[in-house]
Amino acid sequence: MIVAEIKPFGEIKDMLKDYNKVLIVGCGTCVTVCLSGGERQVELLASALRMARKIEGNEITVGERTILRQCDPEFIDQIKDEAAQYDAILSMACGAGVQGIAERFGSITVLPAMNTRFIGVSDGQGTWVEVCAACGDCILYKTGGICPVARCAKSLINGPCGGSQGGLCEVSKDNPCVWQQIYARLVKLNLLHFLKEISPPKTRPVHPRRLVREDLRLKKEQTKGV
Amino acid sequence: MTDKAIPPCQAACPIYTDVSGYVSAIAIGDIERAIRIIRQINPFPSVCGRICTRPCETACRRSQIDEPISIAALKRFAADQTRGLKLIKRPEHYYDERVAVIGSGPAGLTVAHDLALLGYRVTVFEEQNVLGGMLTQGIPDYRLPKDVVKEEVDFILSLEVEVKTGLSLGRDLSIEGLLKDYQAVFLAVGSQRSLLPKCNGVELSGVITAIEFLKQISRGHRPNLGEHVVIIGGGHTAVDAARTCLRLGSSEVTIIYRRTIDEMPAGRAEVDDAEKEGVNIRYLTAPVDFLGNGNVQKVRCIEMRLGELDESGRRRPVPVENSEFEIKADTVILAIGYIPEADALKDSGLILSKNGTIIVKDNTGTTNVKGVFAGGDVVSGPSSVIEAIAAGKRAADAIHRYLRNLPDKEVEEHLPLRSLDDNVVKLINKSNRQNMPTVPVEKRLDNFNEVEVGYNRNEALKEAQRCLLCGSGALVADNCAACLNCVRICPYGVPVPGREIAEIDISQCQVCGICASECPASAINLKLETREEGRAALQKVIDKARQEAPEVLIIGYYCRYKLPTSLLDDSGIYWLGKLCTGRLDIFQLIYPFELGADEVVVHMCKNEECHFRDGSRWLLTHIERAKKILDEIGMGADRLNIISEEDVSDFKKRFEVLGINPIRKREKVRG
Ligand SMILES: Cc1cc2nc3c(=O)[nH]c(=O)nc-3n(C[C@H](O)[C@H](O)[C@H](O)COP(=O)(O)OP(=O)(O)OC[C@H]3O[C@@H](n4cnc5c(N)ncnc54)[C@H](O)[C@@H]3O)c2cc1C
Ligand code: SF4
Ligand code: SF4
Ligand code: SF4
Repeated sequence: MIVAEIKPFGEIKDMLKDYNKVLIVGCGTCVTVCLSGGERQVELLASALRMARKIEGNEITVGERTILRQCDPEFIDQIKDEAAQYDAILSMACGAGVQGIAERFGSITVLPAMNTRFIGVSDGQGTWVEVCAACGDCILYKTGGICPVARCAKSLINGPCGGSQGGLCEVSKDNPCVWQQIYARLVKLNLLHFLKEISPPKTRPVHPRRLVREDLRLKKEQTKGV
Repeated sequence: MTDKAIPPCQAACPIYTDVSGYVSAIAIGDIERAIRIIRQINPFPSVCGRICTRPCETACRRSQIDEPISIAALKRFAADQTRGLKLIKRPEHYYDERVAVIGSGPAGLTVAHDLALLGYRVTVFEEQNVLGGMLTQGIPDYRLPKDVVKEEVDFILSLEVEVKTGLSLGRDLSIEGLLKDYQAVFLAVGSQRSLLPKCNGVELSGVITAIEFLKQISRGHRPNLGEHVVIIGGGHTAVDAARTCLRLGSSEVTIIYRRTIDEMPAGRAEVDDAEKEGVNIRYLTAPVDFLGNGNVQKVRCIEMRLGELDESGRRRPVPVENSEFEIKADTVILAIGYIPEADALKDSGLILSKNGTIIVKDNTGTTNVKGVFAGGDVVSGPSSVIEAIAAGKRAADAIHRYLRNLPDKEVEEHLPLRSLDDNVVKLINKSNRQNMPTVPVEKRLDNFNEVEVGYNRNEALKEAQRCLLCGSGALVADNCAACLNCVRICPYGVPVPGREIAEIDISQCQVCGICASECPASAINLKLETREEGRAALQKVIDKARQEAPEVLIIGYYCRYKLPTSLLDDSGIYWLGKLCTGRLDIFQLIYPFELGADEVVVHMCKNEECHFRDGSRWLLTHIERAKKILDEIGMGADRLNIISEEDVSDFKKRFEVLGINPIRKREKVRG
């Protein structure tokens, strides 16, 4: 899932200073799962904003809505009419959701309430870790199911840097050295030979990426001569 | 487990009283709501609160942990506290059909009550001059005072129910005759004719039946029975007769019962009370002969042992050879069993069993004679008040359907929630029952005053708060995002990941509310108090506060389990009680400020004292997050504070005025 966290309140307040009617839109998928942008957070942020603005003597009207996913236009359309009554939309989704709405409702300002952090998994209650960098060329089969691109501070893909000590990363002692983990896992799996294979350097993906699956789409009618 | 399963107490109650509903209302001090819930279904709350046989308590799941909830005693508390409160409205219109009820015991009066409320004119015919059946003629005052019964009977009569006393079915009335004036007849003449043991000497003077004896007492007679009284039997009647004898001055009162205490139909508490008062009970003993010359002088008894199971599923007592012995007896009271009076039903055309009980077609009490229904002890044989009330309720419904030509009631299933899993049981804190206060034994025996005093408010609330609120727990809505936060944080390990959303087995949920306060999708609602209800309660308190416009508006949340409400009086704080403050979500902590509160205080107990598990720790987490928000918005984190019990009693010193809520300040300037 995409892991995001809410922006510092001051920043959000600042973004909204010129707007007096704002619809906060939560997203019911990833950001709800990572406890940051679902219905509950929408309710809290709305109350906080109203209070902050009242204290400043500059009252704001805040609408509250949560849709299932902000990355699909069909869901976004569910709030179309409502959105039209506001000066701005504050999206509590990942960056994809913010843009999804912005794209759909071209004439309304859409502002992000969240900082989108990474693609991650749950690491116990209230904790998430990054595990995938969306590099576009997965090598997990040779790294024991542990991604060095996302989890090595230096994104090394052919073994450790040499600075790791006691199994910890030299960049941040809070993190384990992922190459040490990969090594241990490959030993356990009896797949150590993979370490001898050199992985070619990864090309940085060229943005924006786009995925078109012709195989999933209804065939266009063959035009004459093609 | 279906969603329809109900708490086991409710499933065990013959009238399916919403026990957890009224007990939880008492737990939060809302006695009026409690009595409304009870009254809605039971016309005899004060009676049942005192002498019900309490099948609910036998079923109560709390006994998996320590002892069942004192469900009946709480009903009594609710009823006693609300005496005189008019709760039920009379019907707006009346039907033309009239219904005759024969017998004014709990079965008959329940039919009168329910039909009157449905809009029928009911006439109750009663052979005696008093109403109430065994409630007034049998059960003695020290367990059920007459004024308590009278009040409930009077209410029923106030529903335009007509009464004709001194008229007896079989002697003055016939079913045929009644059917000419009434479109339906309900027979509830009880089961009052005593069975006699096959012993020589039953005819001796001084050998009497318990029912006749107790009826005499109920009319105010105080016969002299002599010093030695022997009572034969093991039911309510035997025990009541024995305790009555003590009150009449007999010094040696002995019950002889042929089985053991485990088979005894009388309630264990009653037997304990009788023994405390001085009644001797000889188990596994049966009478052989009553000896005497004109007057009874002795009972020859024989010892018994328990043999094979009999048809009632109890072990059959068999005599032990050569074990006969004699006991002195100035009076012998027979209480071995009852059957309906044969005369009353003799030429009625009704099909009767060989015991003389009326055979009915189904549990609605429909008989073989059109328009004639029957219920209570005359159908079941001697049973209990609550079974008589239940029979009355079913029959009233059936009579209404019969008179209105409505289809039969569909059979409802009342599945009990399954029992608690062991791993949940061991996580629940133990807490023993509140003892029922009673008059000390030495003050009981020279009078017929009620022995049980009833709970005071504090005891009642404490007892009610022991209830596990079975079935009032967490329900997951479809918008669950399957984040599994609830799975991870439930202190009792109840939620589990389902195929699409989290699943919470409501039969195991302990209703702590922690998951609901943390669910990011706000997808969890507790039946006990939904999110909306929680918000509405807050709004109500704040509305009240704003109306009263105190100088400093302080909202206080307190734990109803832990903070004695007496501490709350007079503090100037607008209090809102919660069954554990761990269930407060962050919104409830910050929203009061939006509504103009100057300060919010939350009472918190020490974690090891938390009624649930983790409640106070979650509260701390929520307070911390709420403080952060208050700080960020410029309200100030110091406006939200935790207080302990000591702080509440000493609060005035503690609260420096923080200055008025800046939102309110602005409003004031403007307004
Ligand atoms: C001493 C004693 C103690 C008990 N203790 C308890 C207890 O603690 N808890 C409990 O749940 N149950 C107890 N019971 C049982 C309970 O009282 C009965 O099960 C219940 O009262 C049955 O109700 P009923 O309406 O069917 O009959 P009853 O209460 O017996 O009422 C029948 C009514 O019909 C009248 N009647 C009879 N014949 C005629 C006629 N021919 N014409 C007109 N009227 C007639 C009678 O006078 C009486 O008023 C006790 C019973 C006794 C005797
Ligand atoms: S704990 Fe409460 S709800 Fe549960 S069975 Fe007992 S009385 Fe009923
Ligand atoms: S916490 Fe809420 S959203 Fe998450 S799994 Fe439980 S019910 Fe679903
Ligand atoms: S209310 Fe409490 S006990 Fe019930 S599922 Fe939620 S966290 Fe668990």
